[in-house]
Amino acid sequence: MNIHNYEKLWLVLAMVMIIGFISTVVYGATAVGIEMVNDEGGTIDSTALEEDDRFAEPRVERVGDNEYEAYVVARQFIFEPDPIEIPANSTLTFYVTSPDVIHGFEVVGTNANAMVIPGEVTELTVELNEPGEYGILCNEYCGGGHHTMEGKLIVQPEDEFEQGGNDE
Amino acid sequence: MSGENTVREIGHDEFDPYGTLALILIYFAILSVMWVFMYFVEFLGNDLTVLA
Ligand SMILES: [Cu+2]
Repeated sequence: MNIHNYEKLWLVLAMVMIIGFISTVVYGATAVGIEMVNDEGGTIDSTALEEDDRFAEPRVERVGDNEYEAYVVARQFIFEPDPIEIPANSTLTFYVTSPDVIHGFEVVGTNANAMVIPGEVTELTVELNEPGEYGILCNEYCGGGHHTMEGKLIVQPEDEFEQGGNDE
Repeated sequence: MSGENTVREIGHDEFDPYGTLALILIYFAILSVMWVFMYFVEFLGNDLTVLA
């Protein structure tokens, strides 16, 4: 087969480009540690959230040095707890579920964005280094009040953080 | 192949469509730059990345 030199050149470039695309994604998954939100949060009886230790009382819990877990219930048309408060320089794992319909859970303007499905627990871990405030919103149409469904994630400066919601 | 109106006849490897080559190289360059921007700036730079 007689392939013209130029054609060989752009065939090779196309291959190089595809390899480049794949390797950047591999780089993100390995070196940076980007994960996809998957089903590892497991399932739950959506009609009995009040019997679940995590979701009966939606809250943020400290589980280690700078490690927190937020048990969030997304329901028509609120997020609980609201706001979610956390100190800076911490790792936060959200566990989000819904007792009614499918909702979205998006920390506005970031890559933390997932679907919340009744009967499933959505699990996602993020790192919060800088103090600040983020909006949380539902991005799956969930009923008449969908457009009002929002919450807040507040990252407090470390020295100002006190565990408000936890009575101990 | 050579008819009345043929001005010049060239072989397979003598035909050099450098205009097309230039266009394709520009296209590749644009794609590469856009990919780098999209992945490294827009995606990785968009903090609160899902890490687990
Ligand atoms: Cu909703």
